[in-house]
Amino acid sequence: MRILFTLMIFLGFCTSAMYAQRTVTGTVLDPAGEALIGANVLVQGTDVGTITEIDGSFSIGVPAGSSILVISYTGFETQEVDVSTRSQIDITLNEGELLDEIVVTALGIEKEAKSLGYGIDQIDGDELTRARSDNVINALQGKVTGVSITNTSGNLGASSKILIRGATSLSGNNDPLFVIDGIPMNNDQIASNSRIAGSRDFGSGASVINPDDVESMSILKGAAATALYGARAAAGAVIITTKRGTSSKSGNAQVSINSSYRLDDLFVVPDYQQDYAQGSLSKYDSSAIGFDWGPRNVGQQVSALPVTGQPGALTRVEDNGIKDFFKTGFSAINNFAISDGNEKMDYRVSLGALNQTGILPGASLDRYNVSLNAGVTHSPMLKSRFGIQFIKTDSEGTGASGANDPNIISVASFSSTVDPAVYDPWIDEAGNQINAATPTSNNPLWIRNENRNERDDSRVLANMSLTFTPLDRLAFTAKVGYDFDNDNRLITNRKGTAQRIDGDFRIDKFNNTQVNTDIIGTYSMDVSDDFSVAALAGFNYNKREFEREGLTATSLLVPELFAPGNAEQTVPNRAFSEQVLFGAYGSLDFTYKDYLTVTVTGRNDWSSTLPANNRSYFYPSVSTAFVFTDALGLDGSGPLSYGKLRASYAEVGNDTGPYQLDFNFFPITTATGQYGLNVNFPFAGRLAFSKGNTVPPENLLPERQKSYEVGADLDFFDYRLGVDFSYFRTENVNQILALPIPQTTGFGSLLTNVGQVNTTGFEFTIDATPIRTKNLTWNTTINFSKADTKVAELAEGVDRVLLASAFNSVQVVAVAGGGFELLGIPFLRDTISGRPIINPNDGTRLAGETRTFGSVLPDFTMGFVNNVTIGPVSIGATVDWRQGGIIRSSSVEALQGSGLVTETLINREGTFLDTEGVIDNGDGTFRDNDVPLVSSQAFWGSLNDNSIAEAYIFDATFVKLREIAVTYSFPQSIINKTFFSNLSVGLEARNVALLYSKVPHIDPEASLFGAGADGFGVERASVPSTRSLGVNIRATF
Amino acid sequence: MNFTKIFALSLLMLFTVSSCDEALDINTNPLVASAADPNVVLPFVFVQYSNRHVTELGTRMMDVPQHFSACFNSPRGGNTSSFLTGNTWNMFYTQVLGNLVLVEEDAIEAGASSNNINAIAKVLKALSFFELSSIWESVPFTEALDGATFPSPQFDDQETVFRGSVALLDEAMALIDAIPDASVNVSSGDLIYGGDMSLWRRYANSLKIRILMMIRNRDTSVDSQLSAAFSQPVIDDNTQAALVRYFDTPAESNAYNRLVEAFFGIGNETQGVYAPGEPLYDLLSEAEDPRLATLTVDPDGNGSPGNGTFLPFGAGAGAVISENVIRNDVPHILMLPSEISFYRAELTLQGVLSGDAQSAFDTGMAQILSFWGGQIPGARVGISTGAIDAFIGGLPSLASLGQANALTTVHEQLYLESFLRPIVAWNTVRRTKVPALDPPPGTTISTILKRFNYPPNEVASNPNTPANDPTDTPMWFEN
Repeated sequence: MRILFTLMIFLGFCTSAMYAQRTVTGTVLDPAGEALIGANVLVQGTDVGTITEIDGSFSIGVPAGSSILVISYTGFETQEVDVSTRSQIDITLNEGELLDEIVVTALGIEKEAKSLGYGIDQIDGDELTRARSDNVINALQGKVTGVSITNTSGNLGASSKILIRGATSLSGNNDPLFVIDGIPMNNDQIASNSRIAGSRDFGSGASVINPDDVESMSILKGAAATALYGARAAAGAVIITTKRGTSSKSGNAQVSINSSYRLDDLFVVPDYQQDYAQGSLSKYDSSAIGFDWGPRNVGQQVSALPVTGQPGALTRVEDNGIKDFFKTGFSAINNFAISDGNEKMDYRVSLGALNQTGILPGASLDRYNVSLNAGVTHSPMLKSRFGIQFIKTDSEGTGASGANDPNIISVASFSSTVDPAVYDPWIDEAGNQINAATPTSNNPLWIRNENRNERDDSRVLANMSLTFTPLDRLAFTAKVGYDFDNDNRLITNRKGTAQRIDGDFRIDKFNNTQVNTDIIGTYSMDVSDDFSVAALAGFNYNKREFEREGLTATSLLVPELFAPGNAEQTVPNRAFSEQVLFGAYGSLDFTYKDYLTVTVTGRNDWSSTLPANNRSYFYPSVSTAFVFTDALGLDGSGPLSYGKLRASYAEVGNDTGPYQLDFNFFPITTATGQYGLNVNFPFAGRLAFSKGNTVPPENLLPERQKSYEVGADLDFFDYRLGVDFSYFRTENVNQILALPIPQTTGFGSLLTNVGQVNTTGFEFTIDATPIRTKNLTWNTTINFSKADTKVAELAEGVDRVLLASAFNSVQVVAVAGGGFELLGIPFLRDTISGRPIINPNDGTRLAGETRTFGSVLPDFTMGFVNNVTIGPVSIGATVDWRQGGIIRSSSVEALQGSGLVTETLINREGTFLDTEGVIDNGDGTFRDNDVPLVSSQAFWGSLNDNSIAEAYIFDATFVKLREIAVTYSFPQSIINKTFFSNLSVGLEARNVALLYSKVPHIDPEASLFGAGADGFGVERASVPSTRSLGVNIRATF
Repeated sequence: MNFTKIFALSLLMLFTVSSCDEALDINTNPLVASAADPNVVLPFVFVQYSNRHVTELGTRMMDVPQHFSACFNSPRGGNTSSFLTGNTWNMFYTQVLGNLVLVEEDAIEAGASSNNINAIAKVLKALSFFELSSIWESVPFTEALDGATFPSPQFDDQETVFRGSVALLDEAMALIDAIPDASVNVSSGDLIYGGDMSLWRRYANSLKIRILMMIRNRDTSVDSQLSAAFSQPVIDDNTQAALVRYFDTPAESNAYNRLVEAFFGIGNETQGVYAPGEPLYDLLSEAEDPRLATLTVDPDGNGSPGNGTFLPFGAGAGAVISENVIRNDVPHILMLPSEISFYRAELTLQGVLSGDAQSAFDTGMAQILSFWGGQIPGARVGISTGAIDAFIGGLPSLASLGQANALTTVHEQLYLESFLRPIVAWNTVRRTKVPALDPPPGTTISTILKRFNYPPNEVASNPNTPANDPTDTPMWFEN
């Protein structure tokens, strides 16, 4: 594949097909005569277009038969210029009465932003590739209001959890719908193991998109925005439009190359202590790696150094050697695209390659994207488009997190006295593990090099559409889309791995398929000079199919042979589900005098997953946009340049998963036990069946979400300052939930319609251009998002519902009258002083009654985006601030409990008095704690006694310098002497710095559950996240 | 207009997605069954009950009756975590009882030919409710397992649950006595006795005696029931022991050993994960009981690491539970004949039963010594018959001890006999107070653990759940 890619780039340089077309050149200026950089120049009625250079110049090949250029620029009036008799023009755009911004809305319909009655954010593809993330979703971080994106780990290709306007659903429908070129695509994150025990994050479905292929991403936030998509977009939608073919300035085929090379290293290094060696109770123990409660390290001689067992002097290893153990990751991100277009056809072929090695030894990821996007204008009445993307992802060495898996390597796995170099080599000639700390622990290099975590994923996203325009204002479009994902995983433990001593492997293969068809008719009509109507009617068919097969094999004979016949015990598994949804929808836009638009929509769905009598459900929406500056005839001479008010109300219905309605017996392969100590069926040759644990529903209704939104777009001072504000509220009722019922009924849950979740919030964007001169432009944007999720009611008598369960007695629960909160065991506290009560027998803190500790969701998020252009240099920086929410960190628990970090240096010698504590005098009074623990080791080790979680629950607030990009664009004066039409080089950095955090030692963004579950707020042995620094070169010719 | 034709054709094709309703009628899972034979449901019940029992109660709370010195995530200090309580409760009510009640309903519907299945379901129900009440005291019984009628089941007091369990066992025995010649074959589904209903009858009657002994601690009016039960067949030979067998294959092995291997390495004797509790170790070693060598290994004679204490790292640090016990194929023991023999000795000493207490006691001793000394399936260490006879012969006679000491001796043997059965052992020490157990160091309660707290899920979903008593509050049966 790499060779093919190189070949394509080579061929690209050779390709510069010549077409005889007329070239028009010119300059675009503002009224002050300053050059407008990046203005759009388009040949009317075609897809031929270009953008202006840094000096405002452009050059465009105008196909024969075309004569009108359309020049547009945000904040300026669009102009049409007849060039039939001219080949050189200078155009001055007037600063905008009309904000002609076109955005992509539901079903891929482009609308003028001013006509929308709901909030929408659109991000240009350039923004996504400026400081490239390997996951396109991450590139939105900090840039869009109402959207929170959480990186879950530092694994290559790891998933990111995306929430639009907060969490609104108890039933897990909190993930937005991803739509690419009008076709829904799956963003599923499917776990091969338990999400908490040895979880491997192999990424989520949408992360395969090549950022270089993206023309724009629209974030549809409210239900009114997504009403035509229906249920699946109840949590918002991300509408991705891929790039289409355009010709170069000279009218020839356009080739563009974008290459980044990037180094990744650890983003956060724990504040390790170096003063005390490994061991326990101040006694050195060569086997106690990752447990630094030994003696003070003064370079003393010991009879056995760790791992080697040789006598020698203890050394202090900086940062416990993790900077040596974790490698410098390397990423090469290359994209090559060729495109062309004229009035008859357009196409773009793109080849992307992402080749990465991770910070974990042995981790790598290779992704290749091949895409074609093409369109043909068959006649004035008939157009067709088709697109196909083939994406191949191969990854190796994905790290495990959670617990109960020998492959977990966390920041607490290292001691201050062990140089990781001693682990090499990890295997002898006979294939035995060597250089492990003890016979019962694993050499981390063995884990990384001998145990496999492989994924081989093939994805096809294809779409085709036909548009038939029999009349000028009447059009019919039929779209068919297909999303196919074939995912193959192999997870192995080599024989000789401690804790999996006999070796095992797991094969997990699945196909995830989605077929989507839309047929849409549109008609628009001017009823009078002032009043127009646009109508849309459509029909949707959507089918999703999931098929999975796999095998778990234990106890291998031949170490590296992963065949079922080589295992003493094999358990196959198989799963299948399918669901179908039909939808009929329509919308009417009424526009009065171009400043008042009222949009009414309705959709009826028929779902296969609901009972036959309730499977049909209808939901409406209404939204309105009022450009009051136009209505009042404000000419922009005052401070207010533009003002729009908007309001919307929408309802959305939602179905449930397949196969929820019947009572069944399930064939069982596993009898579960504590600590994952399961046994398998057939057991003693016997098969096993069990009833399901959920009582099926009697008369299940569709879920219903109601949402309200009001907002305003205001621009001041000739569009130099913009404010966009939204207030929203959603009420999610009739949630379809497996409601916990008393297990004493014989069942654990009852599937039913229950509860209500209200999410209220507001968001605003302030966009300012404080400086705009010929050589210097400074644009700054602040976006602020707040969403409060409130569980208004659960079922009668039910106080809380489990959303996700983790280890150590912490659960993420929805609390009636509260939010999504972390439940765990606190310290027992004196109710008056609030101080922890100490056990008078041993000086440890006592455990209190299980309680919730607060919301796991942020209070607000804020992004601060700055772009400065100084002549040919542009500098961009994004700061990302998350305020509030809590996280329970088991990594911190391990670092502190094992004496690895600096706070454990206090009172290392002698006894340890917990001065925060009080002792119950037994008469209702308390005294300051006077019972010391025997050692600081005992203190730090006792904080989680009796599963107490409180000591490791932190405020998850953070401020990160998310990205910096510096780009130098070669001036046209130099470019003109080359065959390039554009050439720029840049420096890019992501996750540059953690500016503020209340969680010690780790990245506060880490999450155990990955993107596939609503498990926020829990971290356990996560793969450390990375900081990236890279260079970028991009060229167009 | 060629293209118009193509377009029209395309539209037509899109609309020929059969009829809507037909396309929507696909909501039936092809990989599940709407009904299941008891011969496949019962194996799930047996194995799930056993594996959860071993991993949750066994590996976590053998230190409560102090048979082990310390267990991971143990409730010995008075705090019963939500996972321990939740997993155990869930296993009993939804996985075991929830399936058993369906098996029972099907068997009732099928009539007398399914009496055997009906009886097995009832015996296992009785066992489950008895154990649930032994752990939590008041638990739903009369209103349990019928969510349609009782969405929030009331909790019944312990006496009701215990007596109700006895009644279930009586029903089961009556059903067994009425099994017709043409019966459903349950040999495959019955993982304990392979469908031998005469052994189920012995087990049911023996289980009834175990429960009546608990009730008797509070109410001696059950003495006549006990007398009657002892006149019926009981488990009286190790070949009749109620066992769930495990195997030396990777995914069919007993979890005590899998825990050691999964988290530490090969062999408890090397890893020292489980060490004997002091009372157990001391009783055996002071009596020079030959069982000591079958249950423990202690090369350097350092003894138990002490109450609530794990062994320090390193070989020879102290006594460990032997690999004769902690091995892949050690069975999960539900009941041994020795327990019934010792009850017989106890009741004879107290004049409830007529006969010879010494003989019953000696029988019990011989049964338990020969069980650990070779009759347990897969035994690795043996005790010769001669050694067993010599040991029993060397014990002072009960008569020579006087009534009180004789009773204590029987209770001590009941305590030792209950090894590897955490609920039975816990019941025994709470019922007899023999041996007197000190609370472990660092405990938050005044005695050894006496009960579990109710699991948070039940508390949250069932308003009838009683408030939790402190976990050192004795239960009804404890006088």
